[in-house]
Amino acid sequence: MGNFAASSVPAVTMSGVNKWFGDFHVLRDIDLEVADGEKVVVCGPSGSGKSTLIRCVCKLEHHQRGLINVLGTELNDDVANIDEIRREVGMVFQQFNLFPHMTVLENCTLALTLVRGASRKEAESIAMGFLEKVRIPEQATKYPGELSGGQQQRVAIARSLCMSPKIMLFDEPTSALDPEMISEVLDVMVALAEEGMTMICVTHEMGFARRVADRVIFMDAGEIVEQNDPETFFNSPENERTKLFLSQILQH
Amino acid sequence: MSATSIQAPPPKGFFTRLRESLFSTPVDCVVTLLCAIFFATIIYKIVDWAFLSSIWTAEDEPLCRDASGACWSVIDARHRIIFFGLFPFEEHWRSTLACIVMIATIVLSCVPWFWSAIKLSALWVLGFGVFYILMHGGVFGLSVITPERWGGLALTIFIFAAVSIFGMPLSILLALGRRSELPVIAKLFGLFIDFFRSLPLLTILFTAAIITPFILPGWLQGDKLYRVIAGFAIFFACYQAENIRAGLQAIPSGQDEAGLTLGLNYWQRITRIQLPQAFRNSLPAIVNQFVITFKETSIVTIVGFFEILASGAAAYGTGKWTVHYIEVYVFIGVIYFLFVFSLSRYGAYLEKKLRVGHG
Repeated sequence: MGNFAASSVPAVTMSGVNKWFGDFHVLRDIDLEVADGEKVVVCGPSGSGKSTLIRCVCKLEHHQRGLINVLGTELNDDVANIDEIRREVGMVFQQFNLFPHMTVLENCTLALTLVRGASRKEAESIAMGFLEKVRIPEQATKYPGELSGGQQQRVAIARSLCMSPKIMLFDEPTSALDPEMISEVLDVMVALAEEGMTMICVTHEMGFARRVADRVIFMDAGEIVEQNDPETFFNSPENERTKLFLSQILQH
Repeated sequence: MSATSIQAPPPKGFFTRLRESLFSTPVDCVVTLLCAIFFATIIYKIVDWAFLSSIWTAEDEPLCRDASGACWSVIDARHRIIFFGLFPFEEHWRSTLACIVMIATIVLSCVPWFWSAIKLSALWVLGFGVFYILMHGGVFGLSVITPERWGGLALTIFIFAAVSIFGMPLSILLALGRRSELPVIAKLFGLFIDFFRSLPLLTILFTAAIITPFILPGWLQGDKLYRVIAGFAIFFACYQAENIRAGLQAIPSGQDEAGLTLGLNYWQRITRIQLPQAFRNSLPAIVNQFVITFKETSIVTIVGFFEILASGAAAYGTGKWTVHYIEVYVFIGVIYFLFVFSLSRYGAYLEKKLRVGHG
C-alpha cells in the first residue's frame, strides 16, 4: 500500500468512496488525498455532496464503498478506530451546535474532562487559552444564547481546538452568519491555517480560499470535477461546470 | 434645531386599564356589576360558612347542631384517623416522623445540589430506610406494624414518593430504549410502553394486588403494597417516558453530532447533552405527570389501602360525626392543594432556572 513512515502519512486518504442516501448517489468514486498540514477548500453547488464528504471523514456519515484512511487508521465499523479518529479530528458546523444549557467555558471543558480525563482546573486553563485565541475570553461565563452568531462560531472553534485535533473540518462555518460577522470567524480560521493546522473547509468564501488554500476542490453531483491551486482554479478553470459555478458565485 | 425626539407614550395605569376593559359601555357596566354581585355572593357564603358562622372548639358533636356554618371540631376530633388511618394509636408518633422524613426526602431531591446519581441514591436509600424502619418497626425495640395497617397521609406520601423514585429512572430507560437505533429494541420498548398506557390504572392495580400472587413465585411476591407500588410505577413510567421522549425528539440532531465529534461516548452524550435538554423541553408535561400521580394515589383504596381520602371517609363515617363530611373533605382538599400547589410552584421555579440564557 505505501510507506507509513510517521512524517509521510497523509492526513486523509479516500479511494473509491461511494455513498448513497436511499437511491440518491451522493458520493461517486471519490479519490482524494490530503497531506499533513495541507489546507483544502471544497466548494460546489448545494446538493453536490461536499458536506457529506467531510462528514464521512469523522464518521458522522458512513460510506458504503471504498476506503477512508485518517492519519493512518482505517475508518471501518471498528468502534475503537472510530473513537481514535474522532479524538484527532475536530469539526465545526454551520449551525455552531454549541450546547445551549452550558456556559461557554463548560462547552469547552466538557470533553476535556470526560474524554481526556483532565482535572477541572487544567481543563479550564486550556479552555481559557483557546477562548483567548479566538478573542472572546470575556464571554466565558455566558450562555451560547447570549452571544452573537459570530461569537458562537468562534466558541465552537475554540471548543474543537481544546481537544488538540490534528485535522480540522469546517462545514460551511460562515453560511449561517450575518454578513458583518463573517470576517471575525474567517480571521480565526486564517490564523489557524497560518499555524500549520491541516484543514478541510467546505465554504463559499472565495477570498478565504485564495488567501489560505493550498488546493481548491470543485464538486458537482457527487463527483470531484476539478481541483487545482487557487491561482489556477480561479483564473483558468478548465471544466465547463466549474466555469459556470464560478461565474454564478463571483458575478456580484 | 435638531430633530425633536419622540418618546414612547407612558404606560397606562391600573385603574385606566380597568375602566377601559370593564366599564367602557353601559352594557359593559351592567355585565361587570352583575358578575361582581354574583361572585361576591358566592365568596361571602363560603367565608361565612368556613369562618364567620363556624364552630372551632365544640367539645362534642351535639354542640355543633345549632350552628349554620362549618363544624371544624370534627377535624380536631378525628384528625388522627385522617393522618394515620389504621396505624395503632400509641405509635402515631412513628407515622408522623416517617411522614416528615419522606417529605424531607422529596424536598431535598428537588434541590439542585443533590442532582447527581450518587447523592440522590444515597438520599433515597437513607430516606426510604428510615421511613421503613419507623413504619414497619421490628428493630430498635419498635413493634412490628405490617403495611396493611399503614394508612392516611403517610401512606399517600409513601406511595407517591416510591412511585416517583422508582418510576422516574424507569421512564428514562424506557424513553431511551424506544429511541434505540436497533429496530428490535425500539419496537419492544414501544410495545411495552403502549401496552401499559392502553390499560386503565385500576386494572393494573387490581392485577398487581390480586392476580400476580397466583403467577409469581412466593419469594418474588412481596407484600401487596409493594406489588401495587410496582404496578403503579410502571404505569407512571410509561407515561413519563413519552413526555421525556417528546423532549428528546425536540433536540436538533446537531447536538448529538457535536458530542460525537468531541469524542463523547453514548452515556456521556445522553447524560450531559441529551437528557438535560430533554428535561428542559418537556418540563411542564413532566411536572404535570407528577401532579396527576399524586392525585391518583387515591385509587389504591380500591385494592384495600386506607390512603388519606379513604381514611377521611372513615373519619366522618362513625356515628355522630357523619353529617360533617363536607368539613372533612374540605380539609383533605386543602392538604392535596398544599402538595399539588407546591409541586407546580417548584415546576415554575425549575422552568425559570433552566431557561437561563435562552431568552
